[in-house]
Amino acid sequence: MSPDKRTVVIKAEGVSKRFGTVQAVDQVDYQLYENEVAGILGSNGAGKTTFFNLLTGYYLPDEGRILYQGQDVTRMTPQQRVSLGMMRSFQLTSTFDNLSVIDNLVLAFFRAHKSASLWQLLINTCRKHRKDEKILATLASFDLERVADRLVKHLGLGEKRRMEIAMEILAEPKVLLLDEPLAGLAESEIKGVLDILRQQVGKQTILIVEHKISHVQDFLQRLIVMHEGRIIAEGGYECLQNPEVRKSYWQIDDSASESASASADAGEVS
Amino acid sequence: MNALKWWWGILLAFALLGVSRTFLPLPFMNEVVIFSIYAMGCNFLIGRVGYISFGQPAYLAFGAYACAFYLFYFGTNPLVGIMVGVLGGLVVSLVIGPLFVRLRSDYFAMVNLALAVIVFYLTQKVLVDITKGDNGLWFMTRITSTPGLDLTIPGQFFIFALIVALAVCAFYKYLDDSIYGACCLATKINENKLQFLGYDNFSIRLLAFVIANTTTALAGAMYAVYLGFVSPEMASPSRAADPVIVTLLGGVGTLFGPIVGAIAYTGMKDVISKLIGNWELFIGFLLVFIMLVADQGIWGTLAPLLEKLLWRRKATLPVATKR
Ligand SMILES: Nc1ncnc2c1ncn2[C@@H]1O[C@H](COP(=O)(O)OP(=O)(O)O)[C@@H](O)[C@H]1O
Ligand SMILES: [Mg+2]
Repeated sequence: MSPDKRTVVIKAEGVSKRFGTVQAVDQVDYQLYENEVAGILGSNGAGKTTFFNLLTGYYLPDEGRILYQGQDVTRMTPQQRVSLGMMRSFQLTSTFDNLSVIDNLVLAFFRAHKSASLWQLLINTCRKHRKDEKILATLASFDLERVADRLVKHLGLGEKRRMEIAMEILAEPKVLLLDEPLAGLAESEIKGVLDILRQQVGKQTILIVEHKISHVQDFLQRLIVMHEGRIIAEGGYECLQNPEVRKSYWQIDDSASESASASADAGEVS
Repeated sequence: MNALKWWWGILLAFALLGVSRTFLPLPFMNEVVIFSIYAMGCNFLIGRVGYISFGQPAYLAFGAYACAFYLFYFGTNPLVGIMVGVLGGLVVSLVIGPLFVRLRSDYFAMVNLALAVIVFYLTQKVLVDITKGDNGLWFMTRITSTPGLDLTIPGQFFIFALIVALAVCAFYKYLDDSIYGACCLATKINENKLQFLGYDNFSIRLLAFVIANTTTALAGAMYAVYLGFVSPEMASPSRAADPVIVTLLGGVGTLFGPIVGAIAYTGMKDVISKLIGNWELFIGFLLVFIMLVADQGIWGTLAPLLEKLLWRRKATLPVATKR
């Protein structure tokens, strides 16, 4: 099965985005295939988040088009893209801190499975949906049962991250777009999140932005490396050995791969 | 179980209000109950959606004047008058809402204040022909008795107002528990996330605006019927902070905050104005003091204490029975 024969879910055609004098994303062409697990790597400021924001409709591109299953979605609102099956997370965890964990999940679940018309929102109570089997099962598999009734603002970062991903998975989108879902987590927590994501492989298309390659070692099926707004390498893990990547991403000209991953690990999320 | 507890709580609160009527003056109680309804709308806006408005008198006046126009020029039935007032508030907030709810919270507060100023001058100066300016519209004698509860008798009006307030309170309790209520809290702190879950922030906010200000108009119409007259004083920008103060005093975002706040504020006003000349200044200081000591408001501070008390009693019960 060669990649080219697979169905393209999201396609970016020459998209660019500029902030003042910074060309954050520069003429990027990209294709995301159905049910693959793809990654976007690159150092801080490479333009990963901006590219992500263009795909999900947070920003309008200065030029270029975004296609979703062949349909031009460049000018669609985020809500419209959600209805089509795209769901994203934010680099800095974005949750409803003044609601309980379970109510965060209820909101994610409700929109995906009922309509979001005001009338439906009014005639349904949270209490009823807190007992929904799917939500309870998700709580269990994300190890969030103990904190289910706690307000999100009282959670630790690891629990918050897990909950955010739980929200996205509950909404059952066709495409799951995660912006640095592992940033700021302890090693043990990273393993937990990856285990959860592994269960989704094959069921959903997953695109992960990550700047520490060691986090997602063995997990990605295909990756691209971004640098200064452009894609500088594409393919399997072997493309990380490409000289340009070694220079811009690992910041080394010639050295063992051991110290390479160490230097990549040193950088933290902005 | 929990649900039952809450509904019983509402009934208990209103039973207490009803009983208070036997030892507190009737005008005070009527004032408190109507003010509670007024503050409930404001409390929903601030506590649930995060919108502070310094223009609530405008919506109060829309309800009051709509009701007054009906009772002064057209009909005599106070119940119909109140319905006209509510309808007036509904229509106005549907027209104004789409413009206002796009604004950020701080601009929202000011633009509402501007609206109150506009409404004040409209009723006082511009529309003198129909509002009679500062003289106000007097229709006490035109109001006819209604079968069942006679709204022209203050004692029976109180029972009516109590029932209306109970209905509004129960309605807001239901809203709090609905998915919509959760969406309101969500849009208050993280509209981006809500949008990327596929919800429409605008319509959620618009509905909150309409619900809150229709409630305010209802309070206005009830004032009109209770007092038997309306004047521009109702929309006076100098009273613009009143419902916000009552909401903060009672406890923002709590169910009974508006009632507790209305009792405290009206009570302070009544008692202190009899004792001291410059009572408004004194109340100002008192408010600052209360806010500093209990920044959760009176009910926001008391409720957890009460809960702890009740909970402890319950927790000790089983132990006691085992012995
Ligand atoms: N909202 C913004 N306004 C101005 N500049 C921005 C904005 N977002 C990103 N940038 C700039 O665009 C470049 C790419 O940023 P970003 O996409 O966040 O990179 P990454 O996610 O790869 O770390 C950076 O130089 C950053 O400063
Ligand atoms: Mg980023």
